[in-house]
Amino acid sequence: MKRWVLNVIAVLLALLFIFPLIWMLLVSLKPDGVNVYTLKDWITFSDLQLGNYVKVITSSQILRWTWNSTLIGLITTVISLLFSSLAAFTFSKMPFKSKGLFYVLIASGLLIPTEAILIPLYETTLHLKLIDNIWAIILPGLTNPIGILLLKQFMDGVPKDYIEAAQIDGCPSSGLWWRICLPLTKSALVSVGIFYFILSWNNFLWPYLSITSQENMILSAGLPTFLSNNIMSLNMIMAASAIAAIPTIIVFIVLQRHIVQGVAMSGIKG
Amino acid sequence: MDIKVTESERTLVLRKPQKAARMAAEMKAIAYLLPFLIPFAVFYLWPVWRGAWMSLHVWSIQGMQKFVGLANYKKIFTDSDFYLYLWHSFYFVILNVPSVIILGLLLALLINQKIWFRTAIRSVFFLPYVLSVSVVSFIWLRLFDSKYGPINAFLKMIGVPGDFHWLTDKNLAWWAITMSTDWWTVGFVMVLFLAGLQEIPTDHYEAAKIDGAGAWKQFWHITLPGLSRVMKIQVFYQVIAGLKLFGQVQIMTGGGPGDSTNTMIRYIYVTGFKKDMFGLASAQSIVFCLIMLLIAVLQFKLTDSKD
Repeated sequence: MKRWVLNVIAVLLALLFIFPLIWMLLVSLKPDGVNVYTLKDWITFSDLQLGNYVKVITSSQILRWTWNSTLIGLITTVISLLFSSLAAFTFSKMPFKSKGLFYVLIASGLLIPTEAILIPLYETTLHLKLIDNIWAIILPGLTNPIGILLLKQFMDGVPKDYIEAAQIDGCPSSGLWWRICLPLTKSALVSVGIFYFILSWNNFLWPYLSITSQENMILSAGLPTFLSNNIMSLNMIMAASAIAAIPTIIVFIVLQRHIVQGVAMSGIKG
Repeated sequence: MDIKVTESERTLVLRKPQKAARMAAEMKAIAYLLPFLIPFAVFYLWPVWRGAWMSLHVWSIQGMQKFVGLANYKKIFTDSDFYLYLWHSFYFVILNVPSVIILGLLLALLINQKIWFRTAIRSVFFLPYVLSVSVVSFIWLRLFDSKYGPINAFLKMIGVPGDFHWLTDKNLAWWAITMSTDWWTVGFVMVLFLAGLQEIPTDHYEAAKIDGAGAWKQFWHITLPGLSRVMKIQVFYQVIAGLKLFGQVQIMTGGGPGDSTNTMIRYIYVTGFKKDMFGLASAQSIVFCLIMLLIAVLQFKLTDSKD
């Protein structure tokens, strides 16, 4: 009896949670000007069509933005993983005097959020002539120290014997990082990588400020430009949202185990 | 063993080369940190320093105009808007943090039971978190539409009287923003609580059952204390995230109606990029940053004394 009630509550809540997404899809598939408002609208499927998607894709650069988001996300993730794991390896396995000093310096990156350095960051980027360039999004994205702190914990778990054995065999320290520590912390790298990718994909404020031309925009910063565009109907705006959401949803469904794990790990340890 | 002997021999005989070797190891380690340190220095450390410098000047997008000392700070503290927007940011924290934490905890407890389609339902709760803030804001902007939105349609259908202008009514706008933010981020909170729940040893529950403790008592004396570490991290994280609110407001209300949903970050954004007052905006950023650090320190102190 009690179990039955819990099950019903869970299913109802799940429906409530997914309702905004279903509504978005439904509206995006209705002809221009047709709304999903009454119960009857919800169950009328005869007028569904893909016209809004065609119109959004041809009248805006949304596919280009999707590509930019993907590209920037991948570049940021790969470079971040390489740099962060190298630094994590250095902190974990290489003895050096100024270790403490550098560790504190890097960890201080957690103190001040990007939101609080927007103005000088913009000024710096302007001086480097990077405004409206995808590197304006990528480079500041590489400064997040969370990956170093997380990966260091995993590198600490790599047995000392492995490292010493390899050193005796004449393996240089770069090899210790690349051939021993990286393969042994693969699952942590995947989790941190997913975390970085989501962070980059959903980054809004900084790309919104630093990118000015339509063709260099990323999805999250490009979408709001539709609001000031009066030609866009409700149905087209929902089609645009769906175009931005669908790749994320598919990737999430495919990788959900890793994503949930990665987020839980980064969230708890971070 | 062998190695140790040779090492101590080396310290005796070759003191100078060893110093050089240590120096070399030092340089090598630093060289390995450089790939991270270079962008970190240019796009984090330098802007932090530069921001402090800019805050002492009248500065526009074209560059520095003149040194004004602490005048920008004086301007901020005598500006009534500053206190208003600061309050707005805190008001959002007051609305959002308890709601998202309680809801996230309830969902985690629910998912932790043996229910049907457990994994699928967990995924549904988590799914909104992977969407970007613009998609989330777009969807809710339309869901809350006072004329054509399904939320008002539903309220009408179940017979709730009156018109709800969710995003243009001063009192409702914050609730609308809170609801959409809860929908977006509650899955994240849930996942962390779920991980926390799995760390609580099951024999604690078994012992409690033998002692005859009911479900409520078990929750109060075992589950909640067991989650205290995750809870602290969550509250800490959500308070900071709440204070940084920008995207939802920018897209859904534009700070309106009037400026009743304007937040600290939007204040900095408007001062810097709309009014072209970089110096003043830098000073605002620093004040804002100090407030956040103060809150962080306070939270650390408060949670530490409880242990």
